[in-house]
Amino acid sequence: MGKDKKVGKAAQGTTKSLPKLTKKKLKLEEDPDSGNQTAGGASTEAENNLRILKGKKVWKAAKGTSKLLVKLRKKKLKLEEDPSFDDQTVEGASTEAKNNLRILKEHKKNKAKPMEKKGKLSKRKKGGEDNKSFTSNGGQHLNKDDHVFDLINSGQTSENGSVEVKEQSETVGSSGVEEACIGKRIKTKKLKRVGKSKRSDHVSEKKVQLEKLAEVDSEKVDEISSVDEDCTRGMKKWLINYKESRQGLKILQQRIDEFITAYEAQQEQERREREAIAAEGGWTVVVHHKGRKKTTDSESGITVGSVAQAAVLDNMARKKNKEVALDFYRFKKQEAQRSEVMLLQSKFEQDKKRIQQLRAARKFRPY
Amino acid sequence: MDSLDFKVGELLKEIILDDSAIETLDRAVSSVADAIESIPEQLVSADAAPKFVADLGVPTDKKLSFTFKSPESIQVGGSHSIRSVAKPDINVDLLVRMPKECFHEKDYLNHRYHAKRLLYLRVIEKSLTTCPVVRKIGWSSFQNEARKPVLIVFPVVKSAELSDFFIRIIPTATSLFSISKLSLTRNNVRAFTQECGQTQATPKYNSSILEDMFLEENSEFVRKAFHEWKSLKEALLLLKVWARNRSSIYTHNCLNGYLIAVILSYLTVESGGNLITKSMNRMQIFRVTLKFIATSNLMGKGLCLQPRGQCNKSKEDMNQFLQSFDIIFLDSSCSFNLFFRLTRTAFEELRDEASWMLSSIDKCRGGGFEEVFLTKVDFTAKFDSCLRINLKGNSKICSSNYCMDDECWRISEKDVHSLLQQGLTDRARFVRVIWRSTPSDWNVEDGFSNFGNEPMLVGVLVSSQEKSFRVVDIGPNPENKEEVMKFRKFWGEKAELRRFRDGTIAESTVWECEPWARHLIIKRICEYLFAKHFLLTKDDVVHIVDQLDFCLKLSDPESSSGALLEAFELLSKRLRLLEEIPLRISSVQPLDPALRHTSVFPPQPHPLAYEKGVNKKPSKLATTSIQSLDVMIQLEGSGNWPVDRVAIEKTKSAFLLKIGESLQEHSGALCIATKDEVNVLMSGYSFCLRIMHEKGLNMLRNQGGSDKIKVTSSVDKELLIRSQHSSMINGLHGRYPTYGPVVRLAKRWVSAHLFSSFLAEEAIELVVAYLFLKPFPFHAPCSRVTGFLRFLRMLSNYDWAFSPLIVDINEDFTPKDEKEIDENFMLSRKSCEENAQNVEPAMFLAAPYDKASEAWTRSSPNRSVLKRISSYAQSSADLLTNLILHGADGPYTWECLFRTPLNTYDAVVLLHHNKLSNPQHLLFPAEMNCGKQVIRGKASKDFQPYMILGGGVQSLEDARNKVMVNFDPTRCFLEDLKREFPNTFKVWHDSLGGDAIGLTWEKKDSRKRSRDGEDASRTETTDALKRVGEVGKGLVKSVHLFKVPRR
Repeated sequence: MGKDKKVGKAAQGTTKSLPKLTKKKLKLEEDPDSGNQTAGGASTEAENNLRILKGKKVWKAAKGTSKLLVKLRKKKLKLEEDPSFDDQTVEGASTEAKNNLRILKEHKKNKAKPMEKKGKLSKRKKGGEDNKSFTSNGGQHLNKDDHVFDLINSGQTSENGSVEVKEQSETVGSSGVEEACIGKRIKTKKLKRVGKSKRSDHVSEKKVQLEKLAEVDSEKVDEISSVDEDCTRGMKKWLINYKESRQGLKILQQRIDEFITAYEAQQEQERREREAIAAEGGWTVVVHHKGRKKTTDSESGITVGSVAQAAVLDNMARKKNKEVALDFYRFKKQEAQRSEVMLLQSKFEQDKKRIQQLRAARKFRPY
Repeated sequence: MDSLDFKVGELLKEIILDDSAIETLDRAVSSVADAIESIPEQLVSADAAPKFVADLGVPTDKKLSFTFKSPESIQVGGSHSIRSVAKPDINVDLLVRMPKECFHEKDYLNHRYHAKRLLYLRVIEKSLTTCPVVRKIGWSSFQNEARKPVLIVFPVVKSAELSDFFIRIIPTATSLFSISKLSLTRNNVRAFTQECGQTQATPKYNSSILEDMFLEENSEFVRKAFHEWKSLKEALLLLKVWARNRSSIYTHNCLNGYLIAVILSYLTVESGGNLITKSMNRMQIFRVTLKFIATSNLMGKGLCLQPRGQCNKSKEDMNQFLQSFDIIFLDSSCSFNLFFRLTRTAFEELRDEASWMLSSIDKCRGGGFEEVFLTKVDFTAKFDSCLRINLKGNSKICSSNYCMDDECWRISEKDVHSLLQQGLTDRARFVRVIWRSTPSDWNVEDGFSNFGNEPMLVGVLVSSQEKSFRVVDIGPNPENKEEVMKFRKFWGEKAELRRFRDGTIAESTVWECEPWARHLIIKRICEYLFAKHFLLTKDDVVHIVDQLDFCLKLSDPESSSGALLEAFELLSKRLRLLEEIPLRISSVQPLDPALRHTSVFPPQPHPLAYEKGVNKKPSKLATTSIQSLDVMIQLEGSGNWPVDRVAIEKTKSAFLLKIGESLQEHSGALCIATKDEVNVLMSGYSFCLRIMHEKGLNMLRNQGGSDKIKVTSSVDKELLIRSQHSSMINGLHGRYPTYGPVVRLAKRWVSAHLFSSFLAEEAIELVVAYLFLKPFPFHAPCSRVTGFLRFLRMLSNYDWAFSPLIVDINEDFTPKDEKEIDENFMLSRKSCEENAQNVEPAMFLAAPYDKASEAWTRSSPNRSVLKRISSYAQSSADLLTNLILHGADGPYTWECLFRTPLNTYDAVVLLHHNKLSNPQHLLFPAEMNCGKQVIRGKASKDFQPYMILGGGVQSLEDARNKVMVNFDPTRCFLEDLKREFPNTFKVWHDSLGGDAIGLTWEKKDSRKRSRDGEDASRTETTDALKRVGEVGKGLVKSVHLFKVPRR
């Protein structure tokens, strides 16, 4: 939604208020409140979303030409609210919207010339962002229901953001009606849409790019400074690091030798300290060691009480066998049975859940 | 209720029409039927469709004119009559019985029946166009038989679900003609003669008329069998789904829904041995039917719907059938072969498919539900190589009449098949030719002129690597004159007389080529044969084999891998013979993918990486950076190792330095070392040595025992797993020679779409390994394109969330192992139940050395990335399928599979591509002209990816000093990025040398919605991106912003 605000702002400069349009807008603003009550079931949430959006817009960008969006939205809203409207009125409304947009566009063209450079830039930004948010959103929070409506909205903005106003009004005109009745299908639809958009991206990407932005303002872009002098960052640093870390075998060997000597010295000292403590009082605390006995002395590396591991394992295995069988008591047996049944039951529950999820993901459709 | 049964139930729910839909269907059908019945009598003549009549070869005279009368009866036939229409193909067959008065007694001669049949339909078409209940009318052909058109009527239906629903109006000719006149031995197309002028029998033509005559009777038979038998209907639906997924057996010359229904009803009656009984459930019936198809003797003996006694056919009659047709299944009248369109190869394929299915059901997890019912076994994924042949306007086909006994398209199907079979001999296990000749929007007014515009499809299943890619074919002995003549005639100038090493002399054909181009031999043979026998140019024959090789082309791995392996052998020998180091080296194992044939770009021998004594003629140009290959070393055991981890690592380094030094002294190899790694340059390659210390493993285990949650990955553990993986994959490559190329394509795809940082190379290797080890419902792929396609489909279709991928490389998992894996899997999924977003690992890959999927996919990809990967895979798979079936269409070319859209990231960093360590690996230079450019930068002058050798000025020593081992600016950049911007964004990059890096913002925790923070955050991000550019100074060309993070 923040995006939409941006759109409003960016456009604010380009076109001053057009009295005719604002009037119309105001008129439109008033009626949804009464109409909202008639809207039913699944569509209410979508509407609420839209209403918030619209409210913000009216409030924030009172002068903005984001009317473009606002109006379309409103028109749609109107259609949604009034179920008695039949197809013909929908068509009529959409054509009306089209006309309005055309007028708007023309005005925009005429008025926006002095601001052209800035406008273009922001428009470019807008277009790019909107498009992108649409696809990447789709990729990322596919499963979040809260995002569903956001996504629809942003999807629409992306349509709106593109330059073809005519097409836009058509899509809104038709999709508006559809949207009103489709509440739960949105999710699947969206999934599909993501797939589609990806598919078309393979090719359309290039086209869109070319269409959208012919020129890039190269002069205004900052440049990375002192590429070949700065040693603290970038290529120069990596090259220096590379050289510095390869000083030759001798030096490396020396370093390791130094480390080992230091390490040994430290170990030696620790040992001495321990010995000193032992020698002082003649007492050491004997700690009971859990687990297998150590077979090698950690300090000298000499094998001490040598017991073959296999033998130990064998021994342990034999010991286990001697233990009392689990079902010695009858109640234990029953308990085991019960727990097994419980396990099966929980597994069954889990399977059921899984299948539910699979069904939701339409994993059973063979086409 | 077991889970398979449950799943099947759910599947049925998806495809069965509900009652309300059936009601609408019935209403629409009856209104159309009423409209047909009310058509008034009228005179019809050949003028109604002159081109069709002319193309049939029927003279337009008075004999064709007749008075149209409304049909004797109209009834619903086909699947709707037994309530087994399977979505999404919703259509109803309407059988319209043409009245006897419209035909003469002798109309069965010379296609007159077919012409009149069409004229009759023309009248119906004309009157229906004005009918208000009809939305649209089209034409199609009955089982792809051009001379038997059917009318496709789209009634007005309001329901969205039934929007594609149509009615097929099929004329029937019940008891129009005498059956004896249409017996197999009779000639009814007088123009169909042998060379000597004698007329030939026309069994196909006769059957074509007989089919119409018995259509009603047979569908009545089916209806009776299916009456009130729910599980039989369900089994029919399942069989349809099964067959429909296999596009090469659900075609005009093999199976269709009607024939499946006939087979099922046959199995319920006495003559079919009552194999299906009322007590069976749907899956049992399904299996019994498949078994029947797989084992029946339809081919050798022929079957009859009627029980033995009632069939009035004598032995001679039966023999007659056997001579005329490949497969025989007589209908209830005992005079018409229901399977007269089936060819021998089609039936063989059907049988093979059925028996393979039966044997693989048991080998699949969970009863094989996905494999049987959901996986698409279409042409592209099933066959190892596909050919697309454009025969439009080919002189060989157009020269003769369209239809005689058989139609010309069917005849050329047969010709192409026999040509390939003869030419490929035992190279191909199976060749399948299908030509869908009916144009999709056929108008009968055009006659047959548009038939065969679609290319003919040929699928070839390769028999085995050795047989299929052998270079020499040995023909007959020169003494056998007759055979030699044949051989020479077939092969033309390719045939030559050769003397072989064992002394035999024989006619032969030789297809000499480089060892790495062996997979192209079949293509060359096909092209040669088509040019010789069908006069087709290379443009007309598209053979799908090497279309993807462009992205691997830079190196041919098979020739250089020999040198590489030799170098490795030499290294390991030298290492094992070293005596100056305190502990001897007990084993040397390869770790790098290049040493197991799965590296996309195995390193090429570098002119400066040879030992001092070796004088290689230096080339002019060499890369500055040398890619090093990891090699693992084990030392003999000793008790003197330190226990502290740091000390162990230091000791290892000391050992390695010592080893490097002595190698340098003894063999003149160059040793370049840092404190973490030691590289040895010899025989043109660089090897990075690593030591695995068993004690390190034990240490980890001890730690893990005390604190299970915190699993620290130790160097030794990682080395151990990598070496196990490496040796297993190497073994796999030995078993499946195609494995290597498929993995390389898969890796290239993954990195081309910037997933390198999320999907480990080893994970890709495992996924591809699964395709070879558990190929069901296919056979293991024998071509790279097919393997690659299946990889893409697998990525997109596999149910990662609910099932582990068990890669049983050595095929020795016991049920106990599987249970253990399942338990591990359940454990990993349990934690995610509360939080559906964090499924870790999203991809559960279990391998023999790693039953808990900890090695490669533990932390990435996460769920959202995996979703992105699968949707990319899905679109690439669709594109690839389309490319194979229809060819490149405009901008959708083969390159598009590896070209990734850049506008899907929040920001993109472009790099100077001439500063990459291997600029030649770049597939496409990235183009970027959208998004806001934030910063740009010049290329550094200090690093050049190539250096010029020779010239005498530089000594070898100097040149060697300039060589950089394992230096990759991109990797340095990514490391620095990670350090400078922890948790700011996700980095998407191509590890194989792409020049674009995608960035997406990580989600912020702060839920504050600052109203006016928008501008602030914008400048903030711009600044961050500028810093990104600074970090990659000298490498970064520009940074582009697409989207400010949401707050």
